[in-house]
Amino acid sequence: MEAPPVSVLPITGGTINMMEYLLQGSVLDQALESLLHRLRGLCDNMEPETFADHELVYLLKGQQGNPFLLRARRSLSHPTVPWHLRYLGQPEVGDKSRHALVRNCVDVAASHSLPDFLNEMGFRMDHEFVAKGHIFRRGVLKVVVSKLSRILVPGNTENTEPLSLSYLVELSVLAPAGQDTMSEDMRSFAEQLKPLVHLEKIDPKRHM
Amino acid sequence: MQQREEKLLDASVESLISRVAHLKNALHSFIYKLENEYERLTWPSVLDNFALLSGQLNTINKLLRNEKTPSFRQQIIIPLLLSPDRDEELAKLTEQRVPVFSHEIVPDHLRTKPDPEVEEQEKQLSAEAARIGTEVAQKQIQTLNKLCSNLLEKLNNPRDDRDADSAAIRQNKPSFNPADTNALVAAVGFGKGLSKCRPPGPVAPGHTGQGPMMSGGPTLQQVTIGGGSGQQQGMGPGAPQQQGQPGMKILNVI
Repeated sequence: MEAPPVSVLPITGGTINMMEYLLQGSVLDQALESLLHRLRGLCDNMEPETFADHELVYLLKGQQGNPFLLRARRSLSHPTVPWHLRYLGQPEVGDKSRHALVRNCVDVAASHSLPDFLNEMGFRMDHEFVAKGHIFRRGVLKVVVSKLSRILVPGNTENTEPLSLSYLVELSVLAPAGQDTMSEDMRSFAEQLKPLVHLEKIDPKRHM
Repeated sequence: MQQREEKLLDASVESLISRVAHLKNALHSFIYKLENEYERLTWPSVLDNFALLSGQLNTINKLLRNEKTPSFRQQIIIPLLLSPDRDEELAKLTEQRVPVFSHEIVPDHLRTKPDPEVEEQEKQLSAEAARIGTEVAQKQIQTLNKLCSNLLEKLNNPRDDRDADSAAIRQNKPSFNPADTNALVAAVGFGKGLSKCRPPGPVAPGHTGQGPMMSGGPTLQQVTIGGGSGQQQGMGPGAPQQQGQPGMKILNVI
């Protein structure tokens, strides 16, 4: 979705370690318009950007317990744009007072042969979904309002059904490791979206 | 007596002219701001301009209502000389808006009756009022008075429980569903509800265990891991089974 930096060295190498700060919430379909109005007022003045993406999640099951997860994303509205490959680490169990979910993040662009390449490497596609929605920006903050749809026939992105009657709202910032000032800004921005949306730090493990 | 009245008239006309000039200047600068500094204008400054205009209109009204002001209605203005020639004095006085005091501009500028459209509307309104009848009119007047007094009371007395009222109203229309939030976050996080081998809709355990295994085919190995620590409850190696939790399937198809 955004132009990612290309990191040549492996994740544990010497490059800048980018961390993603994340807050998530949801908004019902009927309240979407009011949320979009509010975001248009709060965020930077730019052309309203919509997107339609198809994300495939690949798993590499190693000998040990935790599988290695990679997310490959392509744009349905711009088919010639390169694929976006993303690795998201485990959420950092830092101090509980930190307001946002923090995890290691590596983003790369990839060519259209990415699915074949990953299959050859031994990854297997675990699940896929289609996300359609709007994206807003306020400085370094990025707000994504998206509708997730389940793909009924594997590989066929036309035939989808929505997962739920809500839109997923995500507030995220990409920052180098060590900068902790982001979470305060995110929290104050999240305050401004209440009571329409409650953006909070949701640990995905809790919903296993 | 006459002289005093004349002096009073002159003085009030002078002050009226100066007030109207202030109003005109304020309007002029406001219009300039709206047309030229459109992007930089903020709503509070627009409100300030409107407040200024309203204040000036108020002073004009007070001036007119002042008891020292003679009634202007009783004065008569008669144009003494109309000429189609350009009058420089007049042009200077009116900032080039009225260069000629002629037959064309006099009916517009010295008009005392309202515009024809306004006259038409007034006639309609008075006909309507006459048609309704006195009792209905009285009732309407009373309702209007009641509404106005209610509104005034609400505006003048800020009540603490007003916030509670509005909060209660807002709670009746929730804009988000926490269950949906959790479902969506789980879907994005690790594909809960999205697993490819899972048919849409609620799953009956045991039935679909067979179907996906066959559709998996020889080319795909599908392994879904439930839980980061790889807990496998009641799982025999090599035997396809389905866990009770929806969305969590462990298949070993080799």
